[in-house]
Amino acid sequence: MEQVILVILGVLAVASAVGVVFMPNAVYSAMMLLLNLVSLATLFLLLHAQFMFAAQLLIYAGAILVLFLFVVTLLNPEGENVFKDSKQLQKAGAFTGGIILGIILVGSLIYAFTGGPQFDFAAAQPSPAQPYAYGSVEAFGMGLFTQFLLPFELTALVLLVALIGAVVLGKRR
Amino acid sequence: MTSITFTLIVSAIIFALGTMGVLLRRNPLVQFMSIELMLNAVNLAFISFSGTLGTSEGQIFVLMVLTVAAAEAVVGLAIIVALFRRRRRIDVDDIHAMEG
Repeated sequence: MEQVILVILGVLAVASAVGVVFMPNAVYSAMMLLLNLVSLATLFLLLHAQFMFAAQLLIYAGAILVLFLFVVTLLNPEGENVFKDSKQLQKAGAFTGGIILGIILVGSLIYAFTGGPQFDFAAAQPSPAQPYAYGSVEAFGMGLFTQFLLPFELTALVLLVALIGAVVLGKRR
Repeated sequence: MTSITFTLIVSAIIFALGTMGVLLRRNPLVQFMSIELMLNAVNLAFISFSGTLGTSEGQIFVLMVLTVAAAEAVVGLAIIVALFRRRRRIDVDDIHAMEG
């Protein structure tokens, strides 16, 4: 059952990613991105990352996508159909580049999981008493506020820089 | 096929699609959306490895990626809006130089 949902969500994520790239209207692309983000968030939940599921929905689908939609509707760019583009060379190059990258990535993954010495994932699993404890908010918070405290504090600086940058860029001259 | 193989392949395909979107589209907004696709593909790979290895470090990395993605989206969209104010048209082919 879990496998079936996993496959459905994976196919949905890939299909909506195709939609983002090939939709002629930017608003449709944003809607497809929303579908992609929600299906990926549900995949996170299936992989027992509960906190990341909530964070993905709140930050990506809730904040970043709304910002995107706001700018898209504000600027209202004219639609572009990538299949009727006049720049044939650029289009062909983009298609070939993307497909070659995809083949290289998927091929190397399949090679890594079928040929050669295999990493024993089962041995790396934690104690069977709480098999999925690594995804809980408790384990996440423990890691974030002990081992990764400095990077966590530095994200505040990143957000401050982004905030100041947005204000400076948005100011009318 | 185990679930990590499947999720990693999904992640690789989405990453390649995002690259194709950045190269193919001329609208900077859609290019940004493609960059978000690529970031999300990497997040999926991190979460898959985190689940398979049974540790939470991968999820902490995903939180950092989320923060950087939010910052990048804010600054990038501010640049696009500023460009639109100057030129009334947004197309990456028109932007040859960054003027002050």
